[in-house]
Amino acid sequence: MTIWSMKRRHDADRNAAEYVSGELSGRVRRWFERHLLDCEDCWREVLLGRFGKRVAEDAREAVPVGLRDRVRAAIMLCSD
Amino acid sequence: MTLREDHEEFLHATLGSMDLVYNLARRFADRVEDTEDLVQETYLAAFRAWRDHRRPRRVDPWIATICLNLGRSRYRTRERRPIEVRIEDRDFRAPEVGEPELAAEATMDREALHQAMWRLPEEQRVALTLVDLAGLSTAEAALAMGTPRGTVLSRLHRGRRGLAALLWAEVREVEGP
Repeated sequence: MTIWSMKRRHDADRNAAEYVSGELSGRVRRWFERHLLDCEDCWREVLLGRFGKRVAEDAREAVPVGLRDRVRAAIMLCSD
Repeated sequence: MTLREDHEEFLHATLGSMDLVYNLARRFADRVEDTEDLVQETYLAAFRAWRDHRRPRRVDPWIATICLNLGRSRYRTRERRPIEVRIEDRDFRAPEVGEPELAAEATMDREALHQAMWRLPEEQRVALTLVDLAGLSTAEAALAMGTPRGTVLSRLHRGRRGLAALLWAEVREVEGP
């Protein structure tokens, strides 16, 4: 997203999602960080987004023991 | 190339993606046994595509797409579905500045985390899994989900906000007053 389009269409959800995901380019990110100082909506969404992202990362579950071998065996038996 | 060489090449290229496939399958199947079946089914379908010379440039988005399609067709029509809530309808006060970072350090009950994830709409769970768990870019997730990137960004943010809303009370309970 460009600075121009961010200014033109203020979308706190989208801006926060891109910012929290680390997908804003350097120039746009610097602009957005300055914008956060003045925009309560975007700041709130960034805080919620960061918290939700941390929680989502914590939801990762380990692959059960034996599943890797089970899949490997199934593939080795597959002949089509 | 012999069949055995195909097997080996495929496994070498794709087994590293099992963490992603398992966690993605977990967003469709509530029971671990069903999740494992979906993972195996995904790998078999991927292998058939591989044998047909449909080989991807990047394995993660490719195999995620296969898992998503199988998961959707297998579980979308299932009678027993998780109860999805509209997070937007909940009365939720945003945390004060600085609190979320502290709160995220708190120990959260694993089961509460799993249940909270299941209360989100399916497409939000999938977006969170692809981007926040598997580390795909939102462009790659859009490709895997077959939707525009803007839609992924919206689902991603709603999912994150939804988890924050559902688990904020949980964190406060753990931390105490």
